[in-house]
Amino acid sequence: MSASERPGKGLSRLLTLAILIAVFALAPAALYLAGRSYLYQVANLIMIFALLSASMHLVTGVAGLLQLGHAAFYGVGAYTAALLATRFGLPFPATMPLAGLAAALVAFLVALPTMRLVSIYFAVATLGIGQMLYLIMLNWVDVTKGPNGILLFNALRIFNFDASKPAIAYYVVAVVTVVSILVIHRLSHSYYGNALRALREDDQCAEAMGVETVRLKIQSFTISGFFAGVAGALWAHTAGYVSPADFSFTVSILILSMVVLGGLGSLPGAIVGAVILIGLPELLREFKAGDYRNLIIGLVLFSVILFLPRGLIGEASALDLMRRQFAGAWRRAPDRRGGMGWR
Amino acid sequence: MDYYLQQLVIGLSLGMVYALVAIGFTLIFGVLNVVNFAHGEVYTIGAYAGLFVVAAWAPPLAALLLAVLAVGALTGVGLERLAFRPFRRFTDEASLKSRAMREATLMSSLALSIIAREAIELIYGSQFQTVPLKLLLNEPIRLGPVTIVNGDVIIFVTALAMLLALQFVLTRTRVGLSIRAVSNNALGARYVGVDVDRTIAWTFVVGSAMGAVAGILVGLYYGAIFPSMGFNPGVKAFVAMVMGGLSSIPGAVICALIIGVAEALSTIFVASVWQELVAYAFLIVTLIFFPRGIFGGARERV
Repeated sequence: MSASERPGKGLSRLLTLAILIAVFALAPAALYLAGRSYLYQVANLIMIFALLSASMHLVTGVAGLLQLGHAAFYGVGAYTAALLATRFGLPFPATMPLAGLAAALVAFLVALPTMRLVSIYFAVATLGIGQMLYLIMLNWVDVTKGPNGILLFNALRIFNFDASKPAIAYYVVAVVTVVSILVIHRLSHSYYGNALRALREDDQCAEAMGVETVRLKIQSFTISGFFAGVAGALWAHTAGYVSPADFSFTVSILILSMVVLGGLGSLPGAIVGAVILIGLPELLREFKAGDYRNLIIGLVLFSVILFLPRGLIGEASALDLMRRQFAGAWRRAPDRRGGMGWR
Repeated sequence: MDYYLQQLVIGLSLGMVYALVAIGFTLIFGVLNVVNFAHGEVYTIGAYAGLFVVAAWAPPLAALLLAVLAVGALTGVGLERLAFRPFRRFTDEASLKSRAMREATLMSSLALSIIAREAIELIYGSQFQTVPLKLLLNEPIRLGPVTIVNGDVIIFVTALAMLLALQFVLTRTRVGLSIRAVSNNALGARYVGVDVDRTIAWTFVVGSAMGAVAGILVGLYYGAIFPSMGFNPGVKAFVAMVMGGLSSIPGAVICALIIGVAEALSTIFVASVWQELVAYAFLIVTLIFFPRGIFGGARERV
């Protein structure tokens, strides 16, 4: 079905327009009226996580590779940006692409050996590599200052223009996030995205049809790493402080929860997931319930899996993805697989 | 040289702890073909339960371990009920190791582990809990030139006893035989009259009890009990399981010992903060070069 005859095209245009108006006009206006710089930080965090969740959506939702170490690439981006800014005094327009490239490079190097693993083995490998990167951030004190983290003074500087005022910073984050998500959208809703979906559905079959599976997997992983790195740079420059705790396994799980909550394979879902999982705890903080943040994340994840396996706006059911994750590798050798129930 | 020997002893006791945790993973994997991500939290719960028992009424060590064993068993039952059984709703004939099960339970156990960890943190706070000094297992023992602490010995002996008990359970008791039957062929076991649901619950009981004991042993050894203490041993035990070939108990135990010893010996060469990397390095190397596990059998595609 070609794009022009897709039903609901007009609707989705309208929706896109509505979201853009909301992001660029309504939300800043509301924030301005509320007049609290803390709320700007929350808004920035929501957008950064929307970008993270969108980038994970490309790998986990579209290409069907369960990724348990996404926060590490986010961290690589954040540390690259922070180090470039503090050591070499580079401004934000320079550090952001470099952070993305650094994260993409790391993702590429990670992908080279691990992409030949399928299913849960891949998930476990990303978990391991994510933890290794986290430990490096935590313990390589000479460079990363370890658990103390790095402080960025005059964090958001665009050449000679100081953009660190909350309202301006909001717009910077918004522009970068929207453009990145647009790119991810174009990637995942194209022939390229369809090839990735073919991998998700059945990579052996896709390979038999002439899709270069390993190469596509490496590419999608690298692209996803790039955007995670960009998100990291946004975080480093808007928060003005990076420390390893922001890039731990818990954060990877948080991003995964966003993708699952929104529905695997659905880009709007990933963004809605980010808005809910960052916004809801902040909303609760208003009611003095901030401590329950992670508990809520756990409960949301659990109930989504139990009651809404397709997520809010899912294209592929989380269950289906998991099924494929396991079906390939976790079955026994053929001679021991007697009959039904074994796959 | 003495230092090496000392590290070797520490490594062996550490490895035994990982082995206890890894057995839980392996048993559950064998029966259900799923990874139980909440296993690390069972370990944490074991430690906190032990602490609670100690605070309530300071029992001798053996009684304490038995109490923790019981708590672990109950946790296992609860975990199975909450995170695993609801997803076995498609149960006709084909569902036991079916896809629907494996898929969902990975995530549900992950979610439950977050919930459990956060609940513990809300109740007890995120700081280290203090263990009464007289219960700490760090009384030095001199063995010729080497000085070790009694904790090393107690952990090693307890773990060894539990491994032997496990061996006995798996080979000599009805429950153990049905666990093996289900893990060998769930459908076949059902056809010959094994109550599969109950067997799965028993598997969680056995695995979680061992994990919980590992938790309290380490808690008393290092005197450090905190909400996220289960994460690292959980991951290392998981690595041991993968290295051992996923469903082989001897493989998992041997690999757990290898990891423990390698970690302890790594402190000779690098600062101790890096020792956490050892397990991950093993994991990556295993996955890339021995994807079926070092002792693993045949598997189609990894």
